[in-house]
This record gives sequence, C-alpha cells and structure tokens, in this order.
Amino acid sequence: MNKDLVSMIADLNEQEALKIVKDRLNAGEDPLRIMEDARKGLEIVGERFASNEYFIPDLVYSGEIMKLITELVKPKLTREEETRKSGKIVFGTVKGDIHDIGKNIVAFMLDVNGFEVIDLGVDVPEQKFVEKIKESGASIVGLSGFLTLAFDSMKQTIKAIEDAGLRDRVKVMIGGGQISEEIRKYTGADAYGRDAMAGVTLAKKWTGIN
Amino acid sequence: MTESERGCNMPIIRDISLNLNIRDVLRRQGLGEVVKVRPEIKVLIQELLTDIKNSCMLEPVAAYEYYTVRSMNDSQILLKGNKVIHGPLLPATFPEAKELVVALCTIGPGLEEQVTDYTNRNEPLRAVLLDGIGSAAVDKMVIDVLKYLARESSSRGYEISSPVNPGMHGFPLTEQWNLLKLVNSDEIGVKLTSSGLMVPRKSVSMIAGIGPEMKRWTQAEICARCKLSKTCHYKVTEQG
Repeated sequence: MNKDLVSMIADLNEQEALKIVKDRLNAGEDPLRIMEDARKGLEIVGERFASNEYFIPDLVYSGEIMKLITELVKPKLTREEETRKSGKIVFGTVKGDIHDIGKNIVAFMLDVNGFEVIDLGVDVPEQKFVEKIKESGASIVGLSGFLTLAFDSMKQTIKAIEDAGLRDRVKVMIGGGQISEEIRKYTGADAYGRDAMAGVTLAKKWTGIN
Repeated sequence: MTESERGCNMPIIRDISLNLNIRDVLRRQGLGEVVKVRPEIKVLIQELLTDIKNSCMLEPVAAYEYYTVRSMNDSQILLKGNKVIHGPLLPATFPEAKELVVALCTIGPGLEEQVTDYTNRNEPLRAVLLDGIGSAAVDKMVIDVLKYLARESSSRGYEISSPVNPGMHGFPLTEQWNLLKLVNSDEIGVKLTSSGLMVPRKSVSMIAGIGPEMKRWTQAEICARCKLSKTCHYKVTEQG
C-alpha cells in the first residue's frame, strides 16, 4: 500500500493525489493497486464524514478526485478490469417526489465506489423500477424521497417489486431527509441510509465487499 | 424592495435584490460557523456567487394577497369571499388574526437549470454547491418578503405573525392547491406537480396572520419543534 496516495485522497489534496497517480503509472505500477489505494483513501473520507469532520461538499469533492484518478488509470486497465463493477444498483426518486440533489449525491458516491448505478431520475413509477430490475439483473434497489409523501410511494414500489416476484432477488435501501427506522419498517425496505456514505456502506455490505 | 405591482388585481413583488453572504450559503451545505471550511470550497462558492451576479440565474419574484378572516374553528379558517383554508395548525397558530396574508415566493427556474447542467456535465460539486445557494436564496427571499409585508401591515396599524407552510404538521400538503389559487401563481410562473410539489422547486408558499398583536417565533423555536432537529444538517441555530 502506498501511504501517500491514501493520505492525499483522505486529506482531499487533489493536486498531490493526481501527481502521485501519474508518477506511479509512469513507473509502471499495477493500475489495480493504485485504484485499491485510492479506494482506501475514499474509505477514510467516508469515516471522516461519519464523524462530522467532513461534510457533504467534502464528500462530493473526494468523489470528483476519485473520478479524475479513474480517468488517469483507465487507459492502463484491461477491458475486463475497466468494466468490472462491484454490483448493479437501480436507483431513483420515487413517484410523486421530484427532489434529486440528494439522490444525485448518493448515485455519484456509489459510482465512484465501483458500483454500476442505473439512475432512473425523479418521479419514477413503481413499474419502471420493476422493469429495470428485470432488465438489468440488479441486486440492489435504492429508493430516494425527500418529503413525507414519498413514504407511501416507497411502500408501493416495494410492494410492486414483491408482486413481480423479485423481492427475494434484491435488497432495497431507502433514503431521504426524513427517513428513519420507523419509516423503513412502514415501507418494508431492508435498510435505510442516513446519508450518502451510509448508502455506500450498505451496498458494500450487501455485495460482500469488506 | 420597492412597491409591488398588481398582476390580475393581485400584488406582485419583482424588485427583490438578494444579497447572499457566504455564511448563509455555507449553512445550506450543512457547514456551520464552527466548521473549518476547505478553501477550495469557499473559492468555488464565491465563484458561483459571482456567476449568479453576472447572469439571470436568479429571478426572485413573489405574489401575495390579504384575506379578511370571517370565522374559524378547530380545523379551518373561513375567509371573506367564501374561501376556506383547512388544517388545525392555522386556527391554533393565529387565533387572534383579523386577516391572513398568503404569499408565494420563487427564485425562478434558471438556477435549477444550471444545477441540472452541472450534473449532466459530471460536475457534482458545483451542482451541490449551487443547489445550496438556491436554497439560501429562497431563505433570504422569504425573510425579505416578510419584512415587506410587515411594513405594509404596520402602515395599517397591524402586526404580522411568523409564517406557516403547507406540509407542516396540521397543515396538509394538499392545501398547496388551495393556496396557489389564492395568489397569482400563474403570473410568477409557479405550478404544482400532480403530487402538490412546486415547480420551480426553489419556491416557498406560506401564510401569516395579520392583526393588532400577532405572535412571532424565533428560528430556534422553529427548529426545536421540528422532528428533524436532532439530525438536521441545515439548522440555523447552534442549539436548534
């Protein structure tokens, strides 16, 4: 493990982190090892976010650094390595709700953490989720909603997934401003995420990473 | 803010200058005063604020109207002209009101379009920060509009209460349709989705009581009443 890259990402030092990546690539280092270190740095960012040392803009900034690093490393990866993802996630803001900034942050953080996110946008009808789960074979579904009106839509979406015979195939996480354990129980979701990193942690747990 | 014009016989305020300061914007990013903000983030916010000044991204406009209260019971307020506002929150909050003022504020669609543009261009940090600036702008606008309405009310010997909004406990979101009919929402370009959410999203609808002596409450009291007070990233007060 190269400590420097990990700590530069953890400290959100974009310029230094990119310089280290370029130097290591030029030295012929295995690109997968570089990506592994970058993810470790991102994990530390997540821990600092969880402990209130970092905030949402810092988290998103770390994701942008990760994106830039991925762009640098990508040409050195084999086709198989480049397309390898941790898992597929069907994601969207449920029917009736049009808030998207929270959803976009979670989707972005899932993406930079190696997941393939199929973002269905906002005000997504139940059947659209069902169709995309069938089509993509995703094992995780993320339902986002900011207002209380989203709770019923989340419950209906999970019911539609169940009615389609897909409930045993997918884990469902919900998230949004007012989501709590009580709401999770009401909707029938498997878990809820209080913030973007909680969503990433859940997805990693469900796909057996870490 | 100068005098309002009357659009379709209902007043509209267009001349609203929103001077946003970085502190308000940082709060909307969940960054309070005690937090050490990264210089890169501050620079980016400042850059976005400059972009806003040099563009038409913010088009603040408000529509409002006063209604005389005819009667009220535990669950609704009946207004002159046989208009009714439902929900127990209002009679409980403004029992002494002689009038209600219904107001609708928006910063327009420009900022949201730019946020979408940044998202599509894979610039999520700019998108997040600009979205927060939009929220801070609406917050500021609501304060300014309430001050304006307070001055108008004061000129008639009345006070204005603090406002309540649809979606609060005891004031159902379904009343949003009712509220938008009570002001000139078309004139300022605010519409509702089928589920009652306002578009542009950076809009606020509110009702305040008007009368000889009206209650006001502080932001700390509002935060204390909110069930998200323990976890809210955006609370205004340290103890809120």
